Amino acid sequence: MEERKITEAESIEIITSMISRTKDRLAKGCGNILLMWGYLSVAVSALIWVLLVTTKNPAVNWLWFLIWLIGGTATPVMAKKMRRKTGSRSYTDRLTSCMWSVVGWAAIASVMLCLGFLLIGGKDSWSMMFAFAFIIVPMAEIMQGLVIKEQSLIAGGSVGLVAGLFTMCCISAHVALVANWFMPLFILAFAAMMIVPGHMLNSKAQRES
Amino acid sequence: MRELNPLLHSQLRLGVMSILMSVEEADFVYLREKTESTAGNLSVQLDKLSTAGYIAVEKGFVGKKTRTTARITEKGRDAFIEYVEALKQYISMQ
Repeated sequence: MEERKITEAESIEIITSMISRTKDRLAKGCGNILLMWGYLSVAVSALIWVLLVTTKNPAVNWLWFLIWLIGGTATPVMAKKMRRKTGSRSYTDRLTSCMWSVVGWAAIASVMLCLGFLLIGGKDSWSMMFAFAFIIVPMAEIMQGLVIKEQSLIAGGSVGLVAGLFTMCCISAHVALVANWFMPLFILAFAAMMIVPGHMLNSKAQRES
Repeated sequence: MRELNPLLHSQLRLGVMSILMSVEEADFVYLREKTESTAGNLSVQLDKLSTAGYIAVEKGFVGKKTRTTARITEKGRDAFIEYVEALKQYISMQ
């Protein structure tokens, strides 16, 4: 493009052409943050599962916080890098970023509340952390899927949400969340929620580029 | 009959404004690629739009490299909408 006078018809052409060039397209590596959270959650839960079975020490449950610690540190770095790579920030980007920020704050608040109740002897407080994680995260994922019209996010989020509701029902029915069945459920749900959609998003972006 | 805003009635400036109407912010490289313009020309046109108050340009650093980002202002948005309205009138007259 140059700096030159144009006709009215050319103006219309420029406007439509520029708008179509900025249409939301999946950027390469857009599923990486989901993949990071997915693999991190699966790896940490598998580690805890093995340690619980071998040591029988409930203190290993504190390792769950590794997910928040590593994921919470890596996410802003990865998001910044991604934004730099794409060169633009759309309104959809802002909406999804705000949505995940709300999820982050809701997760911190729920963990704090559960730990608070645990300190004063709350019986199911620890289990409730899982239920909250299983409900807050999938809700945001489903919403993101609806915004960007991505079926894998909607499907994965729905699997997570059902797992969350099931966990809630178990807690209210006083069914103990035993490692033997709960850990595989947690691993499968996070794989469905994050690993599968993450890979699908990346392969779609690869195809689009 | 409204006159077409001369600041927007130019190929590159209109291209930049159209892009910034569709995204919240865009960096210099993105704008250069989408408009297929040269860095020097784009820089001059961004300055003109910024001086008119149509866009806000922010210069920062990413590591040791400079990064210029632009976003449309409220004034720029109004000017663009007005330009499109005037354009509609011209087209309907022809």
